[in-house]
Amino acid sequence: MLANVVITLASVLLLTWAIPVYTPAYPGYGASPALVPIVAVSVMLIMAILAIIRYVLAIKSNAPLSEEESTYPDEGGGSGFTQVGRLDIGHLVKFMIPAALLVVGIHTIGYIPSALAFLLLLQFLVGARSWIKIVLLAVITVALMYAAMRYGFGVPVPGN
Amino acid sequence: MEMILAGLMDSLSPVSLIFVFVGVFTGVAVGAVPGINGPMAIALFIPLTYYMSPLAAIGFLVGLNKGAFFGGAISAVLLRTPGTPEAAATTWDGFPLTEQGKGEKALRMALFSSVSGDFISTAVLILIAAPLATVALYMGPPEMFALISLALTVIAGIGTKSISRGLIAAAAGLLVGMIGTEPVTALPRLTFDLYRLESGLSLIPVAIGLLAFSEILIQLERLKSRASSEEAARTFSDKPEDKYVSKKEFFGCTRTLLRASAIGIGVGAMPGLGAPVASFLSYDQALKRAKRPEEFGKGRLEGIASSEAANSAVVGASLIPLFVLGIPGNLAVAMLMGAFMIHGMMPGPLLFEENSQLMYGVFGSLVIASLFLLIIGKFGLKLFCKAVQIPAVMLYPVVIFTCIMGAYLGQSSMFDVIVMLVFGVIGYFMRKFDFSYVAFLIGFILVPEWERALQQVVITSQYDPFLFFRRPVAVILMCLTFFVIIRTFVMGMKKKD
Repeated sequence: MLANVVITLASVLLLTWAIPVYTPAYPGYGASPALVPIVAVSVMLIMAILAIIRYVLAIKSNAPLSEEESTYPDEGGGSGFTQVGRLDIGHLVKFMIPAALLVVGIHTIGYIPSALAFLLLLQFLVGARSWIKIVLLAVITVALMYAAMRYGFGVPVPGN
Repeated sequence: MEMILAGLMDSLSPVSLIFVFVGVFTGVAVGAVPGINGPMAIALFIPLTYYMSPLAAIGFLVGLNKGAFFGGAISAVLLRTPGTPEAAATTWDGFPLTEQGKGEKALRMALFSSVSGDFISTAVLILIAAPLATVALYMGPPEMFALISLALTVIAGIGTKSISRGLIAAAAGLLVGMIGTEPVTALPRLTFDLYRLESGLSLIPVAIGLLAFSEILIQLERLKSRASSEEAARTFSDKPEDKYVSKKEFFGCTRTLLRASAIGIGVGAMPGLGAPVASFLSYDQALKRAKRPEEFGKGRLEGIASSEAANSAVVGASLIPLFVLGIPGNLAVAMLMGAFMIHGMMPGPLLFEENSQLMYGVFGSLVIASLFLLIIGKFGLKLFCKAVQIPAVMLYPVVIFTCIMGAYLGQSSMFDVIVMLVFGVIGYFMRKFDFSYVAFLIGFILVPEWERALQQVVITSQYDPFLFFRRPVAVILMCLTFFVIIRTFVMGMKKKD
């Protein structure tokens, strides 16, 4: 339900603001550049509204929600391999902040120190507690990646 | 004929052989690790293929995919945790054998069945792809537009319990794929005035974020419930009859293998079904036709053969719609399509016209990958069994770091790293709320071709709305598209009642 409401709002915003403002004007031949984006967003909007209507009708009739209409339809897995469970924003933030810091760190202090710090922190967050293993793995991984970029693929090492 | 021989000779060049070997080896190793599957491995390794020749790159990725299919069986048999979704049916008879101390025998049966299914399907692909592509050349823009519309509708059902959420995901993929320069006006579209977006979003960071990064985020949530590594240590008996598959046992499964391969080829050639469907369907058929069905689920070799041969047969067959029509039928093939595009080739019927030598080289690499799979699996079985014992606390941080650096490697751009992280978060939410990231990704990949076909139809028809009605194949395909949508809704309503 929550996801469908967000999609509905986003679709309305796209149709009323983003597509008109950020799509080139019709050049006078072919299909309008806005046609396919409008079709895609309309599909999203219609499907999301239908899902909301189904949800509201089910609530009004006091009928039990089908698995498909529940907030976490794939909570126990089945359609895919992974049992995904419920949304855990804390978990997401725990791993996204170090990743964002790595991007900033590469720009400011360079690849090697920021990548080392990132891997040390990440292993700790995942639950590793053997410091010798943690440091060894971080050093080896960062060194291998550095060697691969510099000598293997010949690409510029980020931040350097 | 000259092209065929030249292509085959290319596939036998040392560089090509090495990359196919490395691909198969890596694929088996990563497929054995629960939580890492073939498409995810392809997404992670695609950036490396920038630095390879087209044939070496495609051979490497095809080998990776084939290896991962067998690798998934290793953790399925040893841990009852399928490394890949399609190996789920393998657990039913594989794990009971492991409990009886016959884990090595179960793995060998899985290997031989995988190679058999894969080999038969590759042969079918080689025999029919080129002739079918010749026929497909007669398809014009209306047919291509209708065909891609149908494919997107069918594919919307993959990886979700609801086709409406699948359609939303596919439409979102189309929308994201349209970010960049509009093809007719050559002006920026949906770029929000960010000049970095003017060349569009690259496939590599989007795929790594959706497939690999988000998967690892979810796996990390489940870390505590994972089977311990000690569980895999109680496996092999030393008796030869518990270690090896005899000729009698293998040939006793011939009918099962042939049937499973046929099911795998049929399912693989149809976009949208995928390997898990093939293995479950094949297992079900083997069970129904068995003389002693009560023995299934207790460690029957036929059970392993039916599942593994079917899912491996999907690999080659799923390339048929890609090579003939340019339509990826599943996620792994969508990633391979991306690899073709990175190397400047558009999969489809023209591929045989424009790059025939390369295509026969790819066919050669497919056959070689099957042989390598047999050799690597046979001699490296015990080594790969160790892969299931890698502690997750060591593996996942390295995979996350590889995701970040892999996104960077594609275009040496930190912007791509940011894109990867954004799509990692989007993928996380999509998985939580059951929106098909498979449909999203395939929509993202197919939209340029779809829009090009639409523009060609509009321009050549000179705004004649009846053009479609003069093209019977296009009409049939569009009718099928509407039929699929209506049928799914009707089925959904009936199920609800």
